[in-house]
Amino acid sequence: MTIAPKAPKKLSMKQRYSALTRDLDWEPSYVSTDDMFPYTTFEGITIHDWTKWEDPFRLTVDAYTKYQAEKDKRLYAVLDGFAQSQGHLSLTDASYLNAMKLFLQGVSPLEYQAHRNFAYLARHLNGGGPRFAALCQSLDEMRHLQTEVHTLSNYNKYYSGFANYLHQHDRVWYLSVPKSFFDDAVSSGPFEFLIAIGFSFEYLLTNLLFVPFMSGASFNGDLPTMTFGFSAQSDESRHMTLGLEAIKFLLEQDEANVPIVQHWIDKWFWRGYRVTALVAQMLDYMLPRKVMSWKEAFELYFEQQMLNGLFQDLAFYGIRPPLNVQEAIDEKEILSHQVYWILYQFSHAASFTTSMPSDEHLDWLSATYPDTFDRYYRPLWDKERRNIAAGGRHFDRGLPQLCQVCQIPMGFTEPGDPTTICQRSSDYNGEHFNFCSDGCKNIFDHEPEKYVQAWLPVHQIYQGNCGGGTIPDVLAWYKMAPGDGGEYLGSPDHQSWLGWHDMAEQTGGN
Amino acid sequence: MSVKSIGEYSFPSRSRQELYGDDQLVHVWWKDNPWFCAAACFRAPKAMTWGDFWNALVIPFMEEDPDFDPAHEFAWALEGTPFTPDPAATLESLGVTHKCVISMASAA
Repeated sequence: MTIAPKAPKKLSMKQRYSALTRDLDWEPSYVSTDDMFPYTTFEGITIHDWTKWEDPFRLTVDAYTKYQAEKDKRLYAVLDGFAQSQGHLSLTDASYLNAMKLFLQGVSPLEYQAHRNFAYLARHLNGGGPRFAALCQSLDEMRHLQTEVHTLSNYNKYYSGFANYLHQHDRVWYLSVPKSFFDDAVSSGPFEFLIAIGFSFEYLLTNLLFVPFMSGASFNGDLPTMTFGFSAQSDESRHMTLGLEAIKFLLEQDEANVPIVQHWIDKWFWRGYRVTALVAQMLDYMLPRKVMSWKEAFELYFEQQMLNGLFQDLAFYGIRPPLNVQEAIDEKEILSHQVYWILYQFSHAASFTTSMPSDEHLDWLSATYPDTFDRYYRPLWDKERRNIAAGGRHFDRGLPQLCQVCQIPMGFTEPGDPTTICQRSSDYNGEHFNFCSDGCKNIFDHEPEKYVQAWLPVHQIYQGNCGGGTIPDVLAWYKMAPGDGGEYLGSPDHQSWLGWHDMAEQTGGN
Repeated sequence: MSVKSIGEYSFPSRSRQELYGDDQLVHVWWKDNPWFCAAACFRAPKAMTWGDFWNALVIPFMEEDPDFDPAHEFAWALEGTPFTPDPAATLESLGVTHKCVISMASAA
């Protein structure tokens, strides 16, 4: 009599997930848990039971790679088609690409930094569930960097400002804003990073950071970037879930975690919000065809979805909305105008161009910001119009005062007074430090030892660490070629665009 | 409050005065003129007189504003405290310190 071997038992989805992820975890026998995971105690966070981490996606490596490969195939088909059909000629205007230059220089390198730190979490978190979630996110972030670079590389063949984005990310004054933000996060502990990036960046502010760029692409004929956005969207929803799971897990594990997490939310809301200042001006000033105003985006994605949604749920755990959130709300009518005014007068040292808004654009700004634009900002553009008519163009002739924490030139104003620049300062170890806001001052005062190390571009230039003492020296050190920055009208991009569209004669070659 | 870290955490400031030798950084903020988006940051010798500071550094910067009049009588403040700079006095003797803010206002 022969006994037929039993057919292999087919595992259910849940069993399969367990077998391929959490069941691969083990308890150490010849080293202590503390030796194996040395970095999960020093921040003061208490975790009683790592198995309580929920992984709602139940993703396994084979399923993950299959999904991602399919998405990549679709994206690269679009990229090929766009390149072969000279799709760049159907953008709304060459000036639209300033938004993408800012994205490639400022945001894409952050994806790589996120990749690195999530890889670190994939090794150093005690629980099998969160380690696997961090592993997937680490791979996602690497894929995002790669696909963003591939997506935008086609424009690099025809337009200036794209070529040296990585070199510039580490050196240029406005890129020190996102760079120092992420450096701050990766140099913190694993739990603070989870709240800084997993929660605050990927959940609280993600729709303000990411969606405006992708919607801008969709409204301005940039099919590749729009397709990249779709390709990243399912990853982003997974990242949002991880961020939300991370905060709930920390809050549920021990009540003593609540004040620590609250401080991180306060800090990282403000850090992230200051980075979104670059997005604010992009939405209101850089897109030839507008999607929505910064004010509308802030109201929808932050006030409605986060303050009136998320924070109602977090109140259950004893978490209140972030400190200084009212300042951010009050700034929504003035933020984009202040930031563009900064970039406009320093764009001779940038790897994107700016231009005075057209009459139609100014009218849109007046209509969109009826309480502030005509009162505070139109007069500046009227003066600049006279300046241009007299042969000028407003480029600053020196270097600006920078905030020690967010590193943005200190152009933000006092709460409730859009006419007076906000000046805050602290003295630490006998040295004087300047801040743009109460939010940035609070962050410094909590950890002054950290922020005294800030690599402030203006100070570094004055110390002679940036190629030399003149603007051409510094621009050479930035690897900026003539035409990469400055005024858009008459720039190489503008001239090429007119030439390609055979419009030179109609517009008098202007 | 202080940084929570895995070891001793003590690093020098990247912008401490000694990195500038006999010079220091000085911010000049034209308080009631939004033409300049932010205060300017200058590197100036501590021993520089106010007159030289004004003529050699501040005026060339401020001239970017087509309405700037160097002969205008500005109201000055050092870190918020009103003061009247003597053109012959050095920055150091006027109490100007590293990374401080000097404000000027067109309106009295």
